[in-house]
Amino acid sequence: MDQLQIDFNPKTGSDAEWNDAYARLADYFRAHRIHSRLHRTYLVLETLKRAAVTHEKHPDQSPTAVAIHEARRMHRDWLRGIIGDLNVPEGRLDANGRLAFLLCDGPNEYPDFFLNSSDAPFEMLAAMRAPIQQSGPDLAVSSMVPRPIDLGVLPDIAGETSGFFGRHPWMRYAVLALVAALVAWGLWTVTR
Amino acid sequence: MTNPALPPPSNIPGYTAAAIRKRRSTFFAVVGMTLMSGVWLLAVSLGRNGYNFIDFIMLGVFTPLFYQLSVGFWTAMLGLFFLITGRKDQFDLSRSLTEEEKRSEIGATTAIIMPVYNEDVSRVFEGLRVMYLSLEKTGQLEQFDFFVLSDSDNPNKWVEEELAWLELCRQLDGFGRIFYRKRRKPINRKSGNVSDFCRRWGRNYRYLHALDADSIMSGELLANMVRLMEKHRNIGILQTAPRVFGAGTLFGRVMQFAHAAYGEPFMAGLNYLALGDATFWGHNAIIRLAPFIESCGLPELPGREPFGGHILSHDFVESALMTKAGYQVWLLPVHEGSYEEGPPTIIDTLKRDRRWCQGNMQHFWLLFAKGWAPLARLNFFHGILSYVASPLWFVFLLCATALATIDRHNPDQVIAAGEKAGLLLLLITLGLLFVPKAIILIRQLTRKDLEKDFHSKKAVFWSCFLDTIFFSILAPTLMLFHSKFVIFTLLGRGVKWAGQRRSGDDAVDWEESILTFAGVSAFALVWAAFALWINPTFFLWISPVLGGIALSIPFSIFTAGTGSGRNKGFFATKEELHPPWVLSQLEKNLAKAHVREAPIPQLAKNYGLLQSLLDPYVNALHVSLLRQRKRVTPESRDYLDALRRRLVRDGPNALNKRELSAVMYDPDVMLRLHYDLWSGSGDGLSAWWDTAIRQYNILTREPVTALYR
Repeated sequence: MDQLQIDFNPKTGSDAEWNDAYARLADYFRAHRIHSRLHRTYLVLETLKRAAVTHEKHPDQSPTAVAIHEARRMHRDWLRGIIGDLNVPEGRLDANGRLAFLLCDGPNEYPDFFLNSSDAPFEMLAAMRAPIQQSGPDLAVSSMVPRPIDLGVLPDIAGETSGFFGRHPWMRYAVLALVAALVAWGLWTVTR
Repeated sequence: MTNPALPPPSNIPGYTAAAIRKRRSTFFAVVGMTLMSGVWLLAVSLGRNGYNFIDFIMLGVFTPLFYQLSVGFWTAMLGLFFLITGRKDQFDLSRSLTEEEKRSEIGATTAIIMPVYNEDVSRVFEGLRVMYLSLEKTGQLEQFDFFVLSDSDNPNKWVEEELAWLELCRQLDGFGRIFYRKRRKPINRKSGNVSDFCRRWGRNYRYLHALDADSIMSGELLANMVRLMEKHRNIGILQTAPRVFGAGTLFGRVMQFAHAAYGEPFMAGLNYLALGDATFWGHNAIIRLAPFIESCGLPELPGREPFGGHILSHDFVESALMTKAGYQVWLLPVHEGSYEEGPPTIIDTLKRDRRWCQGNMQHFWLLFAKGWAPLARLNFFHGILSYVASPLWFVFLLCATALATIDRHNPDQVIAAGEKAGLLLLLITLGLLFVPKAIILIRQLTRKDLEKDFHSKKAVFWSCFLDTIFFSILAPTLMLFHSKFVIFTLLGRGVKWAGQRRSGDDAVDWEESILTFAGVSAFALVWAAFALWINPTFFLWISPVLGGIALSIPFSIFTAGTGSGRNKGFFATKEELHPPWVLSQLEKNLAKAHVREAPIPQLAKNYGLLQSLLDPYVNALHVSLLRQRKRVTPESRDYLDALRRRLVRDGPNALNKRELSAVMYDPDVMLRLHYDLWSGSGDGLSAWWDTAIRQYNILTREPVTALYR
């Protein structure tokens, strides 16, 4: 039997750490709804290879963090190739790109072209670009200002009274107690 | 666009000042005569031994109560006049369109808006779906856009709404036609939400269909209402009378049945009186946007909440402002195509009434304002009276108890109570309460096509009989609570804005019922014991009222249950027996949408946050829907960075609601957190996130959305 060749030999980080990084990347790509195990494994290994090189320069970081960082870089490079010319703000490239892939039903229709724009079908590229180019609805600003209502004199008096009770909340209860006492006194007087 | 400053003249045939005067003078003449008879009979009855201080109080509170009763009676009787005689009301706008007009192409753009606040997301978006599809069937969809205007402050609901919107758009290919907007600050609640829409997008549309989160309207009615507005350019608001549907509890089904059985004559009578000065009820209505934007901006009321400040019951005021601007507000008495849901239990009804009470009490300020049409002023008065009547009735009963106490050594006088006058008044009052109901029942039972709307004659008879008992028990309890609400409002205790429970799936429990009704039950029992001590005759007279209150705990529990004689056809309505396509389709879709995997309990509380941070697509959607902040101060950035670090290290339970909200509103932080969490490990990542990351992909292949697939 021929010797099995697996081309992944990180110079930094422990096996356990790289195993964790593998599991996290697998989960991350699964969260992107890349359900093909084969394709997902390919993406994970490709990312890990790049991460291993980067980790040599930043051994203080965990391989998991470096791997996710690499995945993000690959993702942004991929998106830049597809929607980079559409004046998408740099800070929104990830979000808009992910959403564009979802809207073109990429996870179901074009999973093999996730992070891979070579030979990507024209339909996918066009469908990803379309939602970026059209967002809406356009604002048509109107001025809707409160209409003043002439409430007459009564509300002024009531407003002042309300303001007074608002400033002295205990007065509300005092007045209520007074009314109750008056009613009780009236009933007592009448029923005697 | 029409110049809103110059409303066009009315083109409704025969709609003249003389016709309006004739109707209203007839109505108020009969109401006035009834009122005078009642007050006179009570005065005679009370004055048998001369008048005292209590007699005057009783007469004072009786007058508005009897007025309210008379208005209700004559509204129903005038409506019944049209229904029984078969005469067509010439001002019934539902007959205004010809068959040809009903098939005409619509040229006006219309926005259908649905303001939501922490609602059942499945119900909201599935409702939207059936309306969208129903409109599509009419061939007029092109002229309509849909807006879900969210003020939800529950993060789970917020994320669920975003996902449901995206999924619905994907399924219906509705991008560019169905829009979702979340307000950062829910200023002025629902009316503020609608005004915000008007300010931002109002100029794009000629009409606005205002819906509630539980509203359903058929495409045909939505389209025909636009055609009606196009035909009658003087109408500013056209309000439908939505039929109640979807009740599951006994309470909800009785309300639903009562609405279906008795609603039609009341609506016809209301239309007879109101004509072009009707009220707007806030939903299931169409609004002419230009004059609405121009003339219906709501001012703040003087003073502070609850009496002053922001106007809660905005719809009455908006219709008054619309008529003040010269446009008409009409009721559209249609019996199909416009639906809403009702509260499932008494407690939910009381919670809603607490808000409505405060809103109506605020209208006191507007009662004497200048420039209103007379009927707009009357509408404010009726709204206030609908709640103030409760404390008035309460005072009336207290006075009756006082009078009985005075005469306790002479029990014959209590029942005598003015002998014939008192007896006659009692008969008239019972007549006002029950004659319209009896006529409606006879009319229903003699219909040949009763099975179109109800189960059977037997079921209708027993349902009417049972709902009479039901309302006799319910009314005194509502009276006590409404009295409490009025007093609380006067004392300055306002209400909080809370989401509404619309289904009875998680119906009321014993504990909630006991806590809610124990006080009033005890009060009724003490009162009853006192009445018995005064004399047994008075006890018998007042026991129907006190008995209802004393039974409120078991009654609320019993009516919150789902046993309601559905299999025997009791309380069954047309919407239950022969649901229209929009309702049957909604029920079907909801049955599928509600069957979905729930997150594990420890993650459930913050599942929305979890989804929006861990799922790459949900995160992208959420960030894309957030407004990019133009400028962030270094202090804000430091604050948000500290929150971000805490959230990763200590988990979401370490942040309070305000802090979580600050995080979720910042696109940069949300984007950064997505990567921070996926790249976190060891001590730098809280156990909560560790579990969440491991669970997320196991839980579901795709994000849980509120829609069925």
